[in-house]
Amino acid sequence: MGANDADSPQGAANGVKDDSVAADHRRAFEALGAVALTGAITLPFTGLIGSLAIAVAAGLFQYYSSGDASHIKRGSWQPIAVPQIVRTLHPKLKGAIAAVFLLLLPLLLLQRYQIEVLTLGLLYATLAIGLNYIVGLCGLLVLGYIAFYAIGAYAYALLNLHFGIGLFAAWPLAMLAGALAGLLVGLPVMRLRGDYLAIVTLGFGEIVRIVLNNWDAVTAGPNGIMGIARPSLFGWKLTSPSAYYILALLLTCVAFYTQSRMIKSRIGRAWEAIREDELAAAHCGVPVVKMKLLAMAMGGLWAGAAGALFASRMTHVSPESFTFLESVLVLCMVVLGGMGNPIGVSVGAVSLIVLPELLRGAAGYRMLAFGLLLVLAMRYRREGFLPMRRLKLAGGN
Amino acid sequence: MFLQQLINGITLGCVYALIALGYTMVYGILQLINFAHGEIYMLGAYLGVIGLALLQAIHFAPSSPLVLVLTLALFAALIAALWGITIERLAYRPLRGAGRLAPLIAALGISIVLQNFVMHSQGAREKIFPALWAGSGYIFGNTRVSAVQLLIIITSAVMMVGLTLLVQKTRIGTAMRATAQDRVMAQLCGIDANMIIAITFAIGSALAGIAGVLIAAYYGMINFYIGYQAGLKAFAAAVLGGIGTIPGAMLGGLLLGLVEAFGAGYLSSQYKDVYAFLILILFLIFRPGGLLGEQLAEKV
Amino acid sequence: MTRPSLLRRKTGLGGTLGLPAMLLLALVGCSRQSDTIRIAVVSPMTGESAKMGEDISRAVQLAVEEWNQQGGVLGRRIILSIEDDRADPKDAVSAASKVVAQGAVGVIGHYNSSCTIPASNIYHEAGIPMITPASTNPMVTDRGYSSVFRTCGRDDQQGRVEADFACQALNAQRIAILHDKTTYGQGLAGEFRKNLTSTAEVVFAEGVTRGDKDFSAVLTSLKAASPDLVMFGGLYGEGGLIIRQMRDLGVAAAFLSGDGVYDPEFLRIAGSAAEGAYLSYAPSAEGIPAARKFLESYLKRWPEVGPYSLFAYDATNILLKGIELAGTTDGRKVAATIHTNSFPAAFGTVAFDAKGDPVVAPYVMWIVRDGKLVPLDGLPKPVHVETH
Repeated sequence: MGANDADSPQGAANGVKDDSVAADHRRAFEALGAVALTGAITLPFTGLIGSLAIAVAAGLFQYYSSGDASHIKRGSWQPIAVPQIVRTLHPKLKGAIAAVFLLLLPLLLLQRYQIEVLTLGLLYATLAIGLNYIVGLCGLLVLGYIAFYAIGAYAYALLNLHFGIGLFAAWPLAMLAGALAGLLVGLPVMRLRGDYLAIVTLGFGEIVRIVLNNWDAVTAGPNGIMGIARPSLFGWKLTSPSAYYILALLLTCVAFYTQSRMIKSRIGRAWEAIREDELAAAHCGVPVVKMKLLAMAMGGLWAGAAGALFASRMTHVSPESFTFLESVLVLCMVVLGGMGNPIGVSVGAVSLIVLPELLRGAAGYRMLAFGLLLVLAMRYRREGFLPMRRLKLAGGN
Repeated sequence: MFLQQLINGITLGCVYALIALGYTMVYGILQLINFAHGEIYMLGAYLGVIGLALLQAIHFAPSSPLVLVLTLALFAALIAALWGITIERLAYRPLRGAGRLAPLIAALGISIVLQNFVMHSQGAREKIFPALWAGSGYIFGNTRVSAVQLLIIITSAVMMVGLTLLVQKTRIGTAMRATAQDRVMAQLCGIDANMIIAITFAIGSALAGIAGVLIAAYYGMINFYIGYQAGLKAFAAAVLGGIGTIPGAMLGGLLLGLVEAFGAGYLSSQYKDVYAFLILILFLIFRPGGLLGEQLAEKV
Repeated sequence: MTRPSLLRRKTGLGGTLGLPAMLLLALVGCSRQSDTIRIAVVSPMTGESAKMGEDISRAVQLAVEEWNQQGGVLGRRIILSIEDDRADPKDAVSAASKVVAQGAVGVIGHYNSSCTIPASNIYHEAGIPMITPASTNPMVTDRGYSSVFRTCGRDDQQGRVEADFACQALNAQRIAILHDKTTYGQGLAGEFRKNLTSTAEVVFAEGVTRGDKDFSAVLTSLKAASPDLVMFGGLYGEGGLIIRQMRDLGVAAAFLSGDGVYDPEFLRIAGSAAEGAYLSYAPSAEGIPAARKFLESYLKRWPEVGPYSLFAYDATNILLKGIELAGTTDGRKVAATIHTNSFPAAFGTVAFDAKGDPVVAPYVMWIVRDGKLVPLDGLPKPVHVETH
């Protein structure tokens, strides 16, 4: 243990003493360190660094995202105990450092399997951030979210198949398709109450899947569309898992950044007002229908973006990937991670992708364990693991 | 052919209605979409098969298949009711007052657990329910009604009338309606709301259990996956009829069954589920409260 | 906000961030040991198709045990990883990367074509041979990957055998086609239809939903078209219910289906209604000693052999034999060896063409007689269908 302690970087991080760190912080950090150390004894060195990096980087993101809330600023990420010098940097610079750090992760995580799983986790983080606009921020219960993802995936697949359009050119179009689908579903159902909206969107999701499965002339039916091109950038083909990882990461970062900006804007506050009390919000002059539609469109937009990336990663899309259970999975990510909080939903997404992978050891029992975990999580952390901070408005209660 | 499709649709619709009743009762009282309800129906079907094996073990051989199926239905209803109460107590009660989403996720968790639990304890293979009325049925011209179809239609009708009477005429029913309307007020009036909620779950689950046994007898084959699709459809039926209202669930179930049968028969069976959901969506857009749902003003 | 609540929140954050970190730590693969060889079987172990995954992984398990009893392969013990892909393409990719990371030198799987296709990208890039026992979609091998094989036939081969049988042996004039809207079912039905001669007219063609239990509506319309043969592309569950409900409705037409229905479960679901149903499947394995031995030891442990169990058993033996013949676990060399050799298998000798399909797709017709599946008399000796 001692040897591991000395030559692993978290040993060095551990050495950074900060007297201002409160006892709780230290305990939390020690717990994290203990986890890392346990890992260091039993597992290869590379995996350890990778996992630590994720934890640290997520901490950095948390700090960065809360840059405006002055009461959070001081010490909000002290548990991570990053050297003093980083703390004095400009917040934007810190964000950039965090991003670079995450970008380097695949180089540290040498095994392809981890990278593949993390890529999938990031893809779902984008999806979860998208659904967070609808469910977490605006409070609309949507059960067919995966349909937007499917539309993005098929949009790219078809554009690529028929017109040879590459991922980067098709991405905006796929996003547009997703957003339009969001609007299209949103428009007629704006006056429906919560649970009716849930069933209508559920129905929409099923309809999209069935149509994809049956419209043989366009979608190739159950066979799906095969041979979708991997993306290439200036003639350089991005096929390696690391390249996909970086793409997924960039996508998640952009989605994340957009959302954390929007939450703090007037729009974000309008969404929150609608979520808390629609009637009151309307009377206060919030354009309820417009705001709801915007949330649907934003959700569809990011689902479309994630769908296009998914299609190019798999090189094959088929309707099986877009079942009702997938919608449920993304909803679980949002609720378990912490509704409204982009960090929470991202962590929720990565966890819910990684968790079933971990449970692979339990073979056929893994879905059983997964179900139990859902129930237990709701029993003991019903607000999710990282619930949204209530925005403090001037003179608010 | 029209009559035949009508019979097909009514049979299917009765099954949807039986399951939808459980959804609607629970929703009416707790505003909870109990996604695990479809799995209770699946459990009911398994209980039918297990009950049959038990009866054979104790050498109980009823004189007529009708008695046999009714015995099994009773057995399945009892155990399914116990399942319903247990799930409510363990997974939903601790979450009461936690908003809409937490219980919804818990219900989804329970649904995954039940499905995999049955898969592991009973095997991934299909279970076979013996054909009790092989070949018997009534033929009117070109139209055939099998004995099981008749049984399903009659049982559902009896159950629905019984349930309506229970809710409208008995003290328990009054307490249920009171709890659904205002739980706190009902408690202040001396109603044990927890008890009433448990009873609601028990009745809903028992109906789903009976539907499970009937379906096992009708199709002769069940697997651990049947709850998913039936649950989805029954939920749609409940909403179509106006979730929370008991006659609405029956009407919604029947309507959905008929839409599916006629859609599959006259249009295309590939898009069968599309018709079902399309009808649902159109209905909700033009009549947001569902078929029989009340058009309430938003509570402030 | 007060100080204490802030603290609590942050501690929660630390703990929560620790969660993915912990999860990630445990993701790291196992270390390799040089005295063992790892192969993997990936199939749906949970979800709707779990039964098929069970059939396949049991057969592979049995084959591996047999090899280990005889001293393993290349003097090394064989370790088998059984992985679950939930019949979900994205899970299939994760499972594929996992077995690659674990150092598997060969893979048996997957079950669904839609899982096999994306997963085979991973195996191909890692240079690991993959043999699927059940993915019959032509696209599995048509993409030109040199390390992708299958022991089952292709939809286009089987569809032709069935069409020939329907037109020539049964002389069917009015044909109704049903399929379950899956890659397999629709593919098989499509190939069947393509190969019908002009004497046969398709009077009814419809898709049904996999997992459905009530087909009475579509069968009522089918009855109105009065076909003399109903062809079904799909699996035993729906197949059993369809023939049963068909007979209940009084449709007397003959019933014809493929290997997906060839399962004891079909006979039980359909009961007496199954009588006289025609199924295309591989020739009887009873006469082949290797297969008889397999069937015996399989049935000693588990109740029933599924439609793809024998194909999975063959696939495992071919993979391990290939490693033995190649004298190395280097995937590319093993794949080359499998391409150039022929292998004794439960369905006779198997050799692969350049694409990785079996050179001879041995489909014969079976019939249900007295509640049992028996090879159809008077009809051929394996119908030899050349792949190309």
